Amino acid sequence: MDELELLKKDWKKNDMQFKQVSEKEIYSMLHKSSSSIVKWIFIISVLEIVFWTGLSVLTSNDTYWKMLEKYHLKTIMQILSIINFGVIAYFIYRFYSNYKKINATDSINQLLKTIINSRKTVKQYVTYNLAMIALSLILFFGSQAMYEPKIQDILNKFGTNSSKGYLIVFGSYFLIILVFTIIIWLFYKLIYGLLLRRLNKNYKELQKIDF
Amino acid sequence: MKSESEESFVKQLKANQNIVHKICRLYTSDQDSHNDLFQEITIQLWKAYPQFRGDSKFTTWAYRVGLNTAITLYRKKKRSIETTPFDTEFHRIKTDEYNYEEEEQLKLMYKAISELNDIDKALIFLYLEDNDYTEISETLGISEVNARVKMNRIKGKLKKILNP
Repeated sequence: MDELELLKKDWKKNDMQFKQVSEKEIYSMLHKSSSSIVKWIFIISVLEIVFWTGLSVLTSNDTYWKMLEKYHLKTIMQILSIINFGVIAYFIYRFYSNYKKINATDSINQLLKTIINSRKTVKQYVTYNLAMIALSLILFFGSQAMYEPKIQDILNKFGTNSSKGYLIVFGSYFLIILVFTIIIWLFYKLIYGLLLRRLNKNYKELQKIDF
Repeated sequence: MKSESEESFVKQLKANQNIVHKICRLYTSDQDSHNDLFQEITIQLWKAYPQFRGDSKFTTWAYRVGLNTAITLYRKKKRSIETTPFDTEFHRIKTDEYNYEEEEQLKLMYKAISELNDIDKALIFLYLEDNDYTEISETLGISEVNARVKMNRIKGKLKKILNP
């Protein structure tokens, strides 16, 4: 078939017309896997907020609200959760913009910067969440100690020896808060730590390429 | 650390990048998609690199992985885009001496090829790259007879497009 032979001839002639890709560009393509890690960070943060929102919707029944009212916490908890949602929405936006940025960049330098940014965002996010959990627990237990008659009974039992009672009650509160926060911290370490480690590895390799 | 295998991979790919460019040329119609496909094939080649032991030529191996990537991506896209618009500016056609008839024919050929399906494109690509039927059948994982039959069908299709 003449046409095909003609095409073959033309095909070979066109060998040199392509814009050649440099070694550096190839390296940077190989390490684009950072973008998939950052994408996962974004996805997991969204899943996480869905999970926590779902959980709070499921658990916020009448008993919960009555308890909050009893402890004089209803208003402050409402304000706190509105602030919380605002802050978390902001973080999700940050995760998303990091992901977009990492996808759009071609230069290794820019890639490195975006990786550092993503890492920083994750750290801030985890710190914020832990602080928020600790703060909510402190508020809750503090109000409970003040307004819950059962706790007051326990404290009264110690009578003159009240400092011992306070020590026991607040000591146990402190332990509960500590354990709870550590559990959540471990949970974050497990999910985000894994992703951050891979991101770090990628970062180090990229740094070496940027000769 | 920049590993040894990474270094040799990058060197080999750089030297043979025209293969990837040519695959991109057949499967895409504008520079952006060309670059995207190039990057995707690069990543897939790198992922598959541990399995490349050098008992086949780098080029043969790159044909296989590259075409597979292009076919897979093309399949996914096909649902939304039926035909690829063909940009003749992008597929610049050069002939040594200006030959109007030849140039027209080439334009038609490239247009006809761009309308082929994903597998047929892979076949014509290997044919243009001077692969024989044994090589084509190995690369695409089809029998030699099947490759011949398919190729004849493509030739027929092209002929029909060129001489309606």
